[in-house]
Amino acid sequence: MATEDARYRESSQYQLWSFSPTQLAAMREKTNAAARARIAQRLSSMPASSRNTSAPTSSANTPDPDGASTPALPEFLTPAEEALLVTFNTSELLRAGDHAEMSDEIKATAAAFFRRFYVTNSVMTYPPTEMLMVALYFACKAEGVFLSITDFIKTFGRENPEEIIAGEFLLCQGLRFAIDVKHPFRALRGAVMELGTFPDIEPARLAAAEQRAREILRFSPLITDAYFHYTPSQIMLAALSLADRGLAERLIAETFHYVAPPANNSGAETPASSGPDAPAPSRKPAPRSDGEDKAQIIGSHIRDKVLGTIEACRDMLSKELPERREHWTNKAVIKAQITPLRKKLNKCHDPERWNLVELQRARREQASKKADSEDGDAEDKAGGGTIEPDGAVFGGPLPRDTKRRKMGKGLEDPFGPPL
Amino acid sequence: MAVSPLVAPTTDALQSSSRPTSSSLKRQASAVPSSNGNGTPNLPSTRAAGSGGMTLDPIEQLNEDEKRKYIKGKKLGEGTYANVYLGHARHDPSVLVAIKKIKVLQQTYRDGMAPDAVRELKYLRELHHPNIISLLSVFSSKDQNLNLVLEYLPLGDLEMLIRDVDRVRYGAGDIKAWMGMLTRAVWFCHDNFVLHRDIKPNNLLIAADGEVKLADFGLARSFADPGRRMTANVITRWYRPPELLFGARHYGGAVDIWSVGMVFAELIIRAPFLAGNTEVEQIALICKQIGTPTEDNWPGVTQLREYTVPSEVVPVWGKEAYMGRFGAVGPDGVDLLVRTVALDPKKRITAREMLEHRWWRTEPKPTRKEDLPRKSSGGEEKMGADLRRRNGLLEDESNSRGSKVARKLDFGQAK
Repeated sequence: MATEDARYRESSQYQLWSFSPTQLAAMREKTNAAARARIAQRLSSMPASSRNTSAPTSSANTPDPDGASTPALPEFLTPAEEALLVTFNTSELLRAGDHAEMSDEIKATAAAFFRRFYVTNSVMTYPPTEMLMVALYFACKAEGVFLSITDFIKTFGRENPEEIIAGEFLLCQGLRFAIDVKHPFRALRGAVMELGTFPDIEPARLAAAEQRAREILRFSPLITDAYFHYTPSQIMLAALSLADRGLAERLIAETFHYVAPPANNSGAETPASSGPDAPAPSRKPAPRSDGEDKAQIIGSHIRDKVLGTIEACRDMLSKELPERREHWTNKAVIKAQITPLRKKLNKCHDPERWNLVELQRARREQASKKADSEDGDAEDKAGGGTIEPDGAVFGGPLPRDTKRRKMGKGLEDPFGPPL
Repeated sequence: MAVSPLVAPTTDALQSSSRPTSSSLKRQASAVPSSNGNGTPNLPSTRAAGSGGMTLDPIEQLNEDEKRKYIKGKKLGEGTYANVYLGHARHDPSVLVAIKKIKVLQQTYRDGMAPDAVRELKYLRELHHPNIISLLSVFSSKDQNLNLVLEYLPLGDLEMLIRDVDRVRYGAGDIKAWMGMLTRAVWFCHDNFVLHRDIKPNNLLIAADGEVKLADFGLARSFADPGRRMTANVITRWYRPPELLFGARHYGGAVDIWSVGMVFAELIIRAPFLAGNTEVEQIALICKQIGTPTEDNWPGVTQLREYTVPSEVVPVWGKEAYMGRFGAVGPDGVDLLVRTVALDPKKRITAREMLEHRWWRTEPKPTRKEDLPRKSSGGEEKMGADLRRRNGLLEDESNSRGSKVARKLDFGQAK
């Protein structure tokens, strides 16, 4: 645990939520394909009249000679279309966070939560417009701000707290219960303080660069995949480089000018550090450890790698500079790009998962039924080795479905209800 | 690869899946489309949504897989906040775990997942250290409760050992070993910018091999940015430092160090060192036993919002004053103790400085953990009781403004 790098590699951000671009694309493909398969299955096992759309595709209007046994399926979103909706809704999330005057950390955590959630969940399965509110609420908690749900929804002129609460656990599960997100904001502060110690750098230039870099950090890495590919310090340096390339280069140059001394770890062992994972700092006299740590992690051979990585991150951020905020709220853009996808989504979303409140209620009902029959502890049995068929695990038919089916029959069946 | 939506695998199709399973696992569903190994044609209509229930999404599948790794056994403890169960790994029954089932739906908290659960999850998920309780897994149960799978710590906690004066005997080497493990845990938290905020003997659990593990992160938080306010109402009273009793809203790792000092003292005298029944009493005890905080020994202390001390000012006691009662750990041990209970948090020793203190290197050497005194029974129940507890925020202190107003009146009369 000597270096910060080693420490970062222990974090859930690195272990669970860092991917190469290829890996990330593959996961999104897989999520999309799996969602299509499931939704198709669910839709086709429902009577056509009970679907929430009467004409999913043009072919559905064509009379079906075989009757209703194989209803036509809607057109699904492609992975690229899903990605566009996630990005658009990330912008919406940030706007909502601004509206509620949340801190930079909370908004950034919420955006990271939201994008992580939709790596393994499709926007066709769970509604992004709901999940972005859930992400904001849960991010407040994750950052140690515990607002009452009533106050939270009031801020957004909403009335039903259940809509948020119902999705919270789902989100948490989708995050694989890793709720610590590491951000570049403090890194920027530190970089600026360090640059401030160089007498030749003008304070005004530094202040302007910090302001611009912070503006970038508040938007660009959050709405792109930067958090999946880069560490907070790399993101910070990329943002600083966009704000003032000279300052970023200076910082890197100063960091790497260091000439490595011979590696020396012969400090006396203290009894307190006798364990294998005992804190490293106690082994060395404090004044020297900084230099030694630096020597271990800063070889000149790493400099090029670092520079390359920061350049790549810079490219990614430059595609969504803060000025693009206007792009994502531009009516013409929304009409041309987003509205068609929303329409498509209305027809191809998952009938069993889309309504979070109903989904939650069905699961709770099922659990409490089980709890009654198993003397107070719902999953003791399952834990003890009996795995129920999956139907039992997540509850029987959703009440909503049965209800809609009845209503559908009554209202929409042109031949009227059965006699 | 295009997956035809109509041939999504069904539960039945997976009954002879490749997973080496016992019969109880046969009905496991997989929602991830996979090549259909057994050649059975899948009919999409076999699982009508209305007839059987819901198939699992990948994320739900992941959760099921996680849950299936453990088998839950008997209940070790039950509380309003959480139940604790003994459990073991499915693949190896000799691997024991404790499963802490946090009740997400609580009567008293209507805003979804409770703060304790969020904090515990956040920090235990990130902190990996031999002296911090390991979070092995997390899964949700059907009733939407959060299950934390923790390493099993069967030998109870430090409080148990401290209190059992008749049957448990220990000496300076043992105290040094326990203190070393505690200090490393706290150093690690602080080095990761985490404040524990509830250090006390019954949050220090003991593993089968004698290793001490800091547990219960339900009150933990990250270091705040400068200027951001935190609550002063943390840390169980007997272990709470004067700055928090005075209502400080900006503080750092020093709050935990005070608690470490209190645990240290308690290990030596085998009774809580400063056991006030109220916050008023707690401050009075600190003033009497350690010294009265004043502008002289703690510049700025009188500016703290709730600063009130008994009128009779007691000078800060020197090292010699502690030797009589705490001399068992030797002059170096006493020196370390005195540094942990410095009134001014700025002058209090840090966790890292503690680890560099000379006491660790003087005789006696810390006892090897295998040779540390232990109790033969009651540890399991103790773990159950410790883990199910709600932490540090005490009911009677939640209305802190009221109690602090009352305190001033008490001091007025206490002459």
